[in-house]
Amino acid sequence: MAFAWRSLVRQPARASLGVVGVAAVGALLFDMLLLSQGLVISMRDLFERVGFDVRVTASDALPGQGPLLANAVAHASAIAHLPSVRAAIALRLANAVVQKNGARGQYTAFQGVAGTGAHPWTILRGHDIGSGPDLIVNENTSRRAGVQPGDRVTVRAFCSGDTQALPPVPFTVTGVAEFPFDTPNGTTVATSLDMLANTCGGNETGEADMILVAAREGTSPDAAAAEVVTIVPELRVFSNEQVVSRLEGGGFTYFRQISTVLTTVTLSFAVLLITVLLTVSVNQRLGEIAALRALGFSRWRVVADVLCESILIVGGGGLLSLPLGALLAAGLDRILKRIAGIPADVHFFVFEPGALQVHLLLLVATAILAALYPIRIVARLPIAATLRDEVIG
Amino acid sequence: MTNDSVRSSVNGCIVEATHVSRIFSMPAGPVTAVADVSLRIAPGDHMAIRGPSGCGKSTLLHMLGCVETPTAGTLLFQGSDVATLSDRQRSLLRLRQIGFVFQRFFLLPMLTAWENVELPQAEAHVSKPERRRRTQELLEYVGLGARADHRPSELSGGEMQRVAIARALANRPGLLLADEPTGELDGATGEQIATLLDRVNADGTALVIVTHDQGLAGRATRVLTMRDGRIESEVQS
Repeated sequence: MAFAWRSLVRQPARASLGVVGVAAVGALLFDMLLLSQGLVISMRDLFERVGFDVRVTASDALPGQGPLLANAVAHASAIAHLPSVRAAIALRLANAVVQKNGARGQYTAFQGVAGTGAHPWTILRGHDIGSGPDLIVNENTSRRAGVQPGDRVTVRAFCSGDTQALPPVPFTVTGVAEFPFDTPNGTTVATSLDMLANTCGGNETGEADMILVAAREGTSPDAAAAEVVTIVPELRVFSNEQVVSRLEGGGFTYFRQISTVLTTVTLSFAVLLITVLLTVSVNQRLGEIAALRALGFSRWRVVADVLCESILIVGGGGLLSLPLGALLAAGLDRILKRIAGIPADVHFFVFEPGALQVHLLLLVATAILAALYPIRIVARLPIAATLRDEVIG
Repeated sequence: MTNDSVRSSVNGCIVEATHVSRIFSMPAGPVTAVADVSLRIAPGDHMAIRGPSGCGKSTLLHMLGCVETPTAGTLLFQGSDVATLSDRQRSLLRLRQIGFVFQRFFLLPMLTAWENVELPQAEAHVSKPERRRRTQELLEYVGLGARADHRPSELSGGEMQRVAIARALANRPGLLLADEPTGELDGATGEQIATLLDRVNADGTALVIVTHDQGLAGRATRVLTMRDGRIESEVQS
């Protein structure tokens, strides 16, 4: 390896070019590996942070886009009493315009919850909703509508399938909260399911878009999901992992496919770059290599030198590629998160140890693959003819 | 300087070539570089091979050095038929028993004179203390003890060839082969190298030199003249 290092540094510009090239390609490769699983990992992490393990819906449609669950509150109550279940809440999604003192209204997402579990948001200021006309708002709503805990506002709801103009309903803002699925610029408010139903005209009491279920400690989400199915067999029951799997097999597949294609392209470039650099380097040293062979250096020894040079270039570039890739991933993540509807806590590029392992394996494969052609030149070098040609040349 | 095992080789002979030929397959047809050559090199021999360009001198030298194998005839190195040896065995043979000096030196430019001389010893797994001792001895032997830390680019042509000779002697070969060792040097420097090679031979290493230089050839005790791949004459002094 030391000998290969000395061979490399005798042409510092060429070696640097190789290392920088591999660093750039390696950074892209690393990012593609992070991208291939990033959304899945991020979504799984987000689901787990919300604190619920199982989701119950009326259909396979995304929450808010399918039919409402009839008797959701009653179902949630029954589910909450299952041995494997710690808590269950019914969650309904709608939209609304929040208005303070007749000022211009702020259009927001509108959530209503009922049930035994903790609410799917985190209070930042003020306090949580009670049973009355209390309203929780997120930071964006607080800022844009100019509302703070203690303010009185009116809420005009837009409920699913509702075409009529509903009258505004008075609420009191009790707190500012963080909602896990909020987009960076998204506005969200929440109240109790009863108050949401009331704001929606009072015709859909007890209905919800989904029931969120928390498994009891020590019980697996799958076991809880299986138990939930027994009492609501007509509904769709998914553990977080099943939801993630569905996402993985659905829209997220595109990211993996794009990642695979770009990974292949970047690796091909890396192989070509190093092959060209090593081939030029070897061709310039044919006389020296033939002389070493004549002096008794084995074929394997000169082949190993070329392989070591390839490993050094790829290794150096590979090391540089990690911080470079991390910087690039952060930048690309910011750009991609501008896509509408992406929750602020979801990331496209997520680090996991497995990605690093695959990155290292691919770089090792690249080093070996790139060295094959120059190794072939060295291994098949005719010693006498090369020495003769060098003298004539 | 010589390898004891070589001294005790079969029939007191390092290399024995019997009716060896080397034919190259070329697109225009086979080309005979060496035809039906028989010769023996004994320990301590000092042989020069002369002849016009393309007469097969270097090819014969490469065969004697086990770099090439004959396409016909038998070449024995210390009694072993070179044609039956694997590439690895021939490499080991060259590493431990044969030294090569080239017209263009072929020193490794990224290594110092010391490192160039040490390299074949490291390849032969000589211990570090022994390598240090041997390298120091060799560089002083060729008169470059003070220039051990210089890279080839910092040495003159003559100095580079001295380092190349030291490198060729690193593993105490019994046979030193030199292909136009003064070909790239001016007259005075060539003379110094010739004197150094004489000394190497006087110290017991068999020496075979391919050269166009009559002065250098004239120092040998055996002078072979080749033409069209054959030995035209051999003069012994």
